[in-house]
Amino acid sequence: MTSWFDHTINGLIIGNIYGLLAVGLALIFGVSRLINFAHGSVYVVGAYVGWVAVSVLQTPFPVTLVLVVALTAALGIVIERFGIRPLADAPRIAPLLATIGLSFVLDQTVQILFSPDPRSVPMQVPNWRIEIGGGSIGLLDLLIGGIGITAAASLFAFLKLTKWGWAVRATALDRDAARAMGVDVDKVNRIVFAIASALGGVGGVLVGMYYNVITPTMGFEATLKGIVAEVVGGVGNVPGAIVGSLLLGLVESYGVALLGTSYRNLFAFVLLIAILVLRPNGLFASHRQLPPEPMTGTFVAPSKPVRLPVPLVAAAAALAIALPFLTENGYLIQTLTNAWLYALLGLSLTLVAGTSGQVSLGHAALLAIGGYTSALLAFNLNWPVWLTLLIGGFAAAGIGTLLVSPAFRLRGHYVSIATLGIGEIVALVILNWESVTRGPIGVAGIPPLSLFGYDLYDTNAIYWFAFALMAALALLQVRLLGSHLGRTLRAVRDDDVAARSFGIGLKRYKGLAFAFGGFFAGISGAFTAHMYSFINHETFNTQISVLALTIAILGGMGNVGGAILGSVALIGLPEIFRVAAEYRILLYGIALLLLVRFRPQGLLGTV
Amino acid sequence: MTNTTDNPILELDAIDTFYGPVQAHFGLSLHVGKGEIVSLLGGNASGKSTTMKIILGLVKPAAGDVRVDGVSTLKLKTPEIVRLGVGTVPEARRLFGAMSVRENLLMGAFIRNDKDGIAADLERVLTLFPRVGQRLNQQAGTLSGGEQQMVAMARALMGRPRVVIMDEPTMGLSPLWVERVLELIRDINGQGVAIFMVEQNASLALQIAHRGYVLQTGRIVLEGKAADLLVDTRIRDAYLGGAEAA
Repeated sequence: MTSWFDHTINGLIIGNIYGLLAVGLALIFGVSRLINFAHGSVYVVGAYVGWVAVSVLQTPFPVTLVLVVALTAALGIVIERFGIRPLADAPRIAPLLATIGLSFVLDQTVQILFSPDPRSVPMQVPNWRIEIGGGSIGLLDLLIGGIGITAAASLFAFLKLTKWGWAVRATALDRDAARAMGVDVDKVNRIVFAIASALGGVGGVLVGMYYNVITPTMGFEATLKGIVAEVVGGVGNVPGAIVGSLLLGLVESYGVALLGTSYRNLFAFVLLIAILVLRPNGLFASHRQLPPEPMTGTFVAPSKPVRLPVPLVAAAAALAIALPFLTENGYLIQTLTNAWLYALLGLSLTLVAGTSGQVSLGHAALLAIGGYTSALLAFNLNWPVWLTLLIGGFAAAGIGTLLVSPAFRLRGHYVSIATLGIGEIVALVILNWESVTRGPIGVAGIPPLSLFGYDLYDTNAIYWFAFALMAALALLQVRLLGSHLGRTLRAVRDDDVAARSFGIGLKRYKGLAFAFGGFFAGISGAFTAHMYSFINHETFNTQISVLALTIAILGGMGNVGGAILGSVALIGLPEIFRVAAEYRILLYGIALLLLVRFRPQGLLGTV
Repeated sequence: MTNTTDNPILELDAIDTFYGPVQAHFGLSLHVGKGEIVSLLGGNASGKSTTMKIILGLVKPAAGDVRVDGVSTLKLKTPEIVRLGVGTVPEARRLFGAMSVRENLLMGAFIRNDKDGIAADLERVLTLFPRVGQRLNQQAGTLSGGEQQMVAMARALMGRPRVVIMDEPTMGLSPLWVERVLELIRDINGQGVAIFMVEQNASLALQIAHRGYVLQTGRIVLEGKAADLLVDTRIRDAYLGGAEAA
């Protein structure tokens, strides 16, 4: 039985590590107005540099720390120079997407270099513990606390007492005015990325020492935790980030003490959503309302969409339908079936993010809701699968819209953070609600797809079914976009203040967009569940959310034909060329980076 | 004071500027002599604020040249232009609100590295603006509008500029403060610093200026000695929006 004292110490230590991440995120947001999704990946790099130093080079701890600081700071400078600075004039959401691409690239590179297996970090600190009351503090705890406090003190000294520290603060407050004082804001950005990355790298080493294990995939969660802490403290607020981190650490530690380890992240994300809804400026801000301007701006790069001639579309559709007669290659048919299902997801996201401008990063949750609803109804109650598919679609529409509705008052980056958090909450509820979802074991033996009383086992039949569904819903979406509703959604996207002044109820239309999008994604998730006959909480993960976004961007945001083409390109091509799974994620990251930089309007143009 | 015989300290030569498809300047030319006070007058959307951004290099012109003491600034970044001796009092002050007044003033000296010189200039500036001296440790954002204007001017002087460009320095101030700010501008000029100020309020600006230009929809439509412009009836026409379409 661990005492409350121990839980408090544990919470503060974890909070300390979150703080090293959150302070960097806050600094970067301050000067660049950017939420850096690659931050957790830098922390992973820090952890692995530490591992190499300790295990291979066998350096003493101070040398390890210096190595980590130097290399991650350098990585931060590279990220700023090549990932962020070229996008200085792009819409605000563009650099955010670039950092997501960067995080894929960094995480996968680490995974390819060091293998996906966890590695243990040899202990460099003697395992002494001091007994206090009912609990104890270890030397490692004190070391981590000491490093955290030293880092914070040095940072404050830098910001308060040095010329470049003033420049950082001045740039955060008013970029143009700082330039007019002669401040080279590019250099400020470089300094900030270097400091933030070094702090994140140190966090990675410390977490490796604390848990004694590191994995290449731990970065994404670290980014999320840093973002939660930053939002709690007020985005861009450095002291707030520290307090938010310690608070988050304590909430998690006590939550785990009460309910168990698998609830740790649930507490974090519920805290995130609560803060976003109730106090979007953080706990310490005097204003409850978000500043309207800096957050607006969608990713929809203005462009002339490519008009696909009807005969060409008809010919492509005919070819798609005839394909099973033309080839004996079942693998190709299966791959394309997958592509049609991802196209449904892409259609959903291109409507929500492209047409309505709500860049969702939690879209996989809609797949999960549809998949689980349909699978459980068919499995437990033996309902016909065509019916459960439909119900899965409606469930995703209804539940998804309901879950996102508190976020309707948010804009820009905050929508992305909120949907990301909601997506994580859905996954965590699925994991923990064992009586219904079977938790981590998942649902196996899901009844196969069936139509008119016939079970579909045949690859070709499933292919046609998927294509028919996708084509029908794509046509529906084309009609939708040409209607009054489509125009209104685009108005909301382009200028929600102007839209509101014309009497458009924003919440209603955002709700409609999510409802339609949810239906499409729900059907796709349900179809997938019956096709695979097995799902668990990891089937529809955040990587799929990001992949969906990449599909929508590749095709051209808001573009129906583009979503289908994007899906065929991103799902079909790597499969056909048999790219190994770990390189595939790397490829997606690079694709996203290149797109954001060189062709934000996608292949077929934005609508 | 109106010494324009050698290089002007600031010179705009046949500037064309575009914001996307919209042209903001049509062959704009003007100059500010060393030690001169020059006013640029114009109504809304005449291109005044864009002129300021062009001088600071925040916006680059499509054609023409900008020279500071004979040096072309087209290829320079803003910090390099500031180093040539261009100080700024931006529109609406733009102080660093969450920083102290002292830190704001020291930001004004950002381009300098001479510690002793900066300390001496801080003293000097505070004798010019005693009011600012009483507020040194206060957050700049908590000052009144007039006090903020003083800090903004003091901040501009901390960089030892040879020309200060001011964007509507009297905007939003009470009449009492307007008088005081105009006096201070004269004092600054008395120390040999040239002033280029953009103003909507023509009669105020021409009271203290040596020369003036009238900008209308991106073109200079009138220029001359301040005393002459002050009595020119066409000034009033220019301010009523002008009949000429762009």
